[in-house]
Amino acid sequence: MSRAPFRILHAGALRRPMGECSRVFKERYPDLPVELESAGSRECAARICDGGIYDVVALADTAVFARWLAPDYVDCYFVFATDQIVVAFDRFSRGSEEITRDNWIDVLLSPGVIYGRSNHNLDPCGYRTLMVWQLAEKFYGRPGLYEALQDGCSRVYPKSIDLAGALVEGRVDYAFLYSSVVRQLGLCQVNLPSRINLSNPALADYYAAASVTLEGRMPGEKVLLTGAPIEFAVAVPRNARYPVEAQWFVEFITGVEGQQILEGCGLIPC
Amino acid sequence: MCKNDCSWNLTADRLLQPVLLFLLCLKPSHGYELIQRLAQLDLLEGEADPATVYRNLRRMEQEGLVISSWEATGTGPARRRYAVTPKGDELLDAWMVAVRRQKEKLEKFIRLYENHLDSEKARGGENLLPEG
Repeated sequence: MSRAPFRILHAGALRRPMGECSRVFKERYPDLPVELESAGSRECAARICDGGIYDVVALADTAVFARWLAPDYVDCYFVFATDQIVVAFDRFSRGSEEITRDNWIDVLLSPGVIYGRSNHNLDPCGYRTLMVWQLAEKFYGRPGLYEALQDGCSRVYPKSIDLAGALVEGRVDYAFLYSSVVRQLGLCQVNLPSRINLSNPALADYYAAASVTLEGRMPGEKVLLTGAPIEFAVAVPRNARYPVEAQWFVEFITGVEGQQILEGCGLIPC
Repeated sequence: MCKNDCSWNLTADRLLQPVLLFLLCLKPSHGYELIQRLAQLDLLEGEADPATVYRNLRRMEQEGLVISSWEATGTGPARRRYAVTPKGDELLDAWMVAVRRQKEKLEKFIRLYENHLDSEKARGGENLLPEG
């Protein structure tokens, strides 16, 4: 009789590192089938709250754990990596030869340029992008910029990995993505100032000036999230079928070998 | 305006390790908090890059200079908290010997330069004396 699989639920942006870590896990536990499932981090949380049984959950924002999963569904969640938001593009993107750190706004708002983000209600990369735009308005001293960037954004995808696919396929010229995903896909990127890219804990107070209202779990419920440095976290849900093996996985991903995998995938282990 | 790198050799990268060890001596911390304390201390040139800080912490742990453990606060996230080991303490002491020696050399350089400026001013004063 075959065993029920070991189930890893993860944010779409963590697809490659989770895949590589699960390969090592399979070597450690060869008789245990492994299933990986990905979704936007908020959707991941919803699946757990709705009774889904998973052994490991890895999300792109500690705020999702704090708001929806801890303490009822997870006892403890461990920060394992950080990243930054960048403007991703490839050599076929309109304006790709002109875009720089200093003129990215004007390039994106140029006629005919198509840029996208992920859905802020489903994916932390989406609401982080809105926060980046708010911080950009303040940082560059351009009143109305946030509204202009929102109005000019004609493509919104469920999660950041879908947005990355759209960029690769040429459906958008530019996309606001995690630097790690851009590097994994071999795309180009414009690095944004640290005061807006959500990368630096020293700027946590500055980031907190940005905020986004999201739909809550209940109809009509609203949740306010404020800007914060990016942190990815991993946990073993309380109802994990294989808690011992799950603990091994968490210790692996946060240990030396796991950190090397994360770094190889462009993340910053922390 | 200096178009070359005028930061001597006390760059952020060079000083980061002893500064991190010092901060951890004062109080064990996780990387997130250390980055904030680094910014407040303002001892390094430029902004400390989080990736560099985390990389240094990992390397220092592999070298036995610091040790980490998970720390969770209430329902907040668990983060890796670092503390200095006796080996890290010894290294910090050795660093401070080097920093003091560097400080003496820099002060000597400043004195020599200022003496030179004073001499130049004195010579320039002689040249401005009215003729006759």
